[in-house]
Amino acid sequence: MLFLVESVERIEDIPSIDLNKYDFKDAAKVKKIPKGLSIETVKLISKLKQEPEWMLEHRLKSFNEFLRRPMPVWGADLSGIDFQEMYYYITPEMAAENAKNWEDVPGEIKDTFEKLGIPEAERKYLAGSVAQYESTSVYANVKKIYDDLGVIFMDMDSALKKHPDLVKKYFMKCVPYTDNKFAALHGAVWSGGSFLYVPKGVKVDLPFQTYFRMNAANEGQFEHTLIVAEEGSEGHYVEGCFVKGTPVKTETSDKPIEEVTVGEKVLTHENRFKTVYHTQVRPYSGKLYSVTYYGDSKAEIKATEEHPFLVVKKERAEYKNTTWNPDWSPVNNIQKGDYLAMPIDREVMSSDVRVFNVNFGKSKGKFNSFTLALRTDKDFFRLLGYYLSEGTTIGGHYVSFTFNVKEKEYLEDVKFLLLKYFEKEPIQGKIRNNGISLTLCSTKAARFFNSEFNHHAHTKQLPLWVIHESPEKQAELIKGFWRGDGSYMYQQYSWGIKRMFRMNTVSSTLARQLRDVLLRLDVFAGINSQERANKHVMHTVYVGGSFLQKFANVVNAQPVNEFAVERQIALQKLSQASLAKSYAHITEKYAFVPVKTISFEEVVDLPVYNFSVDEDESYVAGGVAVHNCTAPKYTTNSLHSAIVEIFVHDNAKMRYTTVQNWSKNVYNLNTKRAIVDKNAKMEWVGGSLGSKLTMLYPMTILKGDNSSASHLNIAFGTSDTWKDGGAKVLHIGKNTTSKVIAKSISSGGGVSVYRGLLRINAGALNAKSHVQCDALILDKDSRSDTYPHNEIYEPTASFTHEASVGKISDEQLFYMMSRGLNEADARSMIVLGFLDDVMKEIPLEFSVELNRLIHLEMEKLGAVG
Amino acid sequence: MLGSQAKRVILVVFLKEILEFKDLHASIEGKEILKGVSLKVRKGELHSIMGPNGSGKSTLSSVLMGHPYYEVTSGDVLLDGESILEWSPDERARKGLFLAFQYPFEVPGVKFSTFLRNSYNSIHKKTNSLQDVAAFQKLLKEKMKDLSFDESFSSRYLNAGFSGGEKKRAEILQLMVLQPKFAVLDEIDSGLDIDAVKSVASAVQKAHKEGIGLLVITHYQRILHYLKPDFVHVMVDGKIVESGGKELALKLEEKGYAEYVKGVVLG
Repeated sequence: MLFLVESVERIEDIPSIDLNKYDFKDAAKVKKIPKGLSIETVKLISKLKQEPEWMLEHRLKSFNEFLRRPMPVWGADLSGIDFQEMYYYITPEMAAENAKNWEDVPGEIKDTFEKLGIPEAERKYLAGSVAQYESTSVYANVKKIYDDLGVIFMDMDSALKKHPDLVKKYFMKCVPYTDNKFAALHGAVWSGGSFLYVPKGVKVDLPFQTYFRMNAANEGQFEHTLIVAEEGSEGHYVEGCFVKGTPVKTETSDKPIEEVTVGEKVLTHENRFKTVYHTQVRPYSGKLYSVTYYGDSKAEIKATEEHPFLVVKKERAEYKNTTWNPDWSPVNNIQKGDYLAMPIDREVMSSDVRVFNVNFGKSKGKFNSFTLALRTDKDFFRLLGYYLSEGTTIGGHYVSFTFNVKEKEYLEDVKFLLLKYFEKEPIQGKIRNNGISLTLCSTKAARFFNSEFNHHAHTKQLPLWVIHESPEKQAELIKGFWRGDGSYMYQQYSWGIKRMFRMNTVSSTLARQLRDVLLRLDVFAGINSQERANKHVMHTVYVGGSFLQKFANVVNAQPVNEFAVERQIALQKLSQASLAKSYAHITEKYAFVPVKTISFEEVVDLPVYNFSVDEDESYVAGGVAVHNCTAPKYTTNSLHSAIVEIFVHDNAKMRYTTVQNWSKNVYNLNTKRAIVDKNAKMEWVGGSLGSKLTMLYPMTILKGDNSSASHLNIAFGTSDTWKDGGAKVLHIGKNTTSKVIAKSISSGGGVSVYRGLLRINAGALNAKSHVQCDALILDKDSRSDTYPHNEIYEPTASFTHEASVGKISDEQLFYMMSRGLNEADARSMIVLGFLDDVMKEIPLEFSVELNRLIHLEMEKLGAVG
Repeated sequence: MLGSQAKRVILVVFLKEILEFKDLHASIEGKEILKGVSLKVRKGELHSIMGPNGSGKSTLSSVLMGHPYYEVTSGDVLLDGESILEWSPDERARKGLFLAFQYPFEVPGVKFSTFLRNSYNSIHKKTNSLQDVAAFQKLLKEKMKDLSFDESFSSRYLNAGFSGGEKKRAEILQLMVLQPKFAVLDEIDSGLDIDAVKSVASAVQKAHKEGIGLLVITHYQRILHYLKPDFVHVMVDGKIVESGGKELALKLEEKGYAEYVKGVVLG
């Protein structure tokens, strides 16, 4: 879906195409299908997909039905949907066009795809993200297991080509296009989706996961899922990563992955900051890989075996690569010596004057603040460098710098700079232990340095405005820092001469920020972290090899005194020396660093974290670029109208689990239905968090005698969401049984609705049904409605219905808080208690995510009152 | 020399551990219920407050724990010399106060042990690490054995489906596990048959032995047959009207509250 989204944004300025002028014979050359819906669009989709005649006919019939039917008005408000503002199909050529941004997608990989006959849907993914290609191989083993069992699990486009008879036999036989307006629309414009066929008697324990399906095909907005469980078969289909503590690059600093939340911005492999729109955590059992790389002695990235990294494969042993085209590769495919990509954030937001809000003191519980306008020019950045290396603030009123007596020149420089920017002359102290200190008595200056850079040496860091200043000014910062805490190492070893520029800091964040700033100057710096007894870890940012000269240019100092002369001589020698190559390589977008070690261990039920990022679907973990786990995403107010058809034949058993958590505005209008034959069993498990509007009522038709259905649904309606969900069960066969449990939680003004239909036909002897709807409302702004509709036409049938609506009372909260629980914890506990009887039934990763979401939501409530 | 100093220190420490109501006035929806309650409970002491219905006994316990519906209009409540009135109920719990509810609330779906572990963690600053959880489970098991609970009890849902006696005993079990400095037991004996009263009383005695400062609020004196309060207070119309030793309870058993209520306009 990443791809679809991009194209939607990009296509805005493309002039619309007159479809009448189209020569369909040249359809393959068609690059763009304009937005909007017409009979031509429908025909074109079919043509482009090279579908059989019957499918085109089916599409056209569906389209007529769509036109004929009015918009449903019985449920939630759908007036925000404009069918003419949407895109219904994207051609592979369009995908290729978009891939232009993706400079590094190598041509040979595209050729490979052609040769493999990968369907369009998948090629689209190729264009947007090569991860799909790589991941496919990851699942080769799983695929083999399926093949051996005769299980067919592939994308619908392929299935239509490879298994036309099977598809024709079942396609839209369970949900006919006449079912509802959106089913008709789906019939007309469907693309993508999956096909699962479990042959007679085959029982598959391994759940058929979305991520697998996603690798096989790009899930569209109108994807079609078709599941056939033959007689006596069993299966479990689930619609659907990093270890805690993995640092992720957010706008200002690295953050443990488990603390990254929806809405935050992270650096992606496209060298820009994009918003996180979905987070997940799941328990993982299997191989956990650890990767370390040259250039950061502390960085160790742990990832599940399928997690894709952005990698350049090593071309030849012993030699550095000559070409640098990165590609996604699952971690278990990475070898020692391969290069990992560190995206370089080259965004520049330069300003020569800035206004700062600086806090000072508290009165009446509020911070007082003043605004401070400063000239943030080149020289100013040198002053920042001096502060970061040698400066500290004392008591919020003084800024102090300490230099070696030999560094008189720098001392004078600082004096000059302080006078220039803070209009005050610092006081020079006496020489003590070969050190001279300068102290500026300025509350403004002290508060400024304190609030922008921190004052403890180990917590010092750069604010965003410094990170994004122009490289020219940043070079001055590096110069100032190196003068303060830098050195040049020149040592003769038996194997040759070692030359190195070094900068020291006890702040881990600052070390990495300095490294990133240097990358913007096209200088690669490694970081070496040294543990020291009873002291903060010392981080040395070092530059060597082919980057020495560039760094020397950055910090070039004029030889004024003896001390500086030593350095100057060393620098001059440097310019004459033939320099060794560096192991790292810098391009416009990335710094590439070789993998030092890669190993794995087996883990059981380890929580692993991942999240999805706008557009680029990637982020920087442990310093290097990695891909999201694959998941579909939709743009603002988009429409998701999928169909799921399931045929459960005699004695077979199928479970279908859907879990969703979308932060975006999505009209989620799906039709899901199963037809269940004799003695067969169908189970639906659904969980829905987020999304603007969800309307979802999975239906089971209990056609065969002794068949049974179980529907379990959990909906969490939070602010701005409307959850309209429920279940439909139709009893036709004798002795059929059904059980429906719907749990809904509404908070923050969210609305949860249960809409159920239960029908027991005459002749469904001894049919039994139990429907239970429980609602929990967390505040007075939220709502929960229940609309059960029951039609019983069989006198021997038995039917029970239970409904409960609960609220959290002040008394209940008081009771729990009197036992030491804070309000958010108390509320969370009540909610989890409410869900307790269904928690066991839902997939563990979903329950963990639900748990987290509930807690976040409860904290919001607590904050309001 | 050193010995006497140590003694003095101990004495000071002990004196400092005190729960004090100072001329406490409190009202609900503008109606004044507490009209100047003054009372000191030291750690290790067992006090009993008795009084007729509507005298404000339960209000006193609610106000102590910070029930949001009650407003303190004047006076103060001090824990070890510090005013508690600005603290939220959970803060009060963390500082060592406990209230055994007359009507404990049901929280379906939440296991008794889960709830209590979370409370315990919050109050005693423990985590869900394996070590802490194991230590907690050991403590809970021990206390359950002390109070003759069946082992399966801890995995039942909090108060949901508990009998009247079980609810009250579960409150005492929580008290024993959480180990507060001071606890108020609100009508811990109401609605119980005589065997249940005995069992609850013996649980309270155990808490008393462990040095928890206790304030037992009761309407009937029968539980006092099984407890040995150090002090008995009579509360009528929002005030403590008489204080004394155990003999006061016996007097009340004989004569009832009529003597105190006389001056009060009923209705």
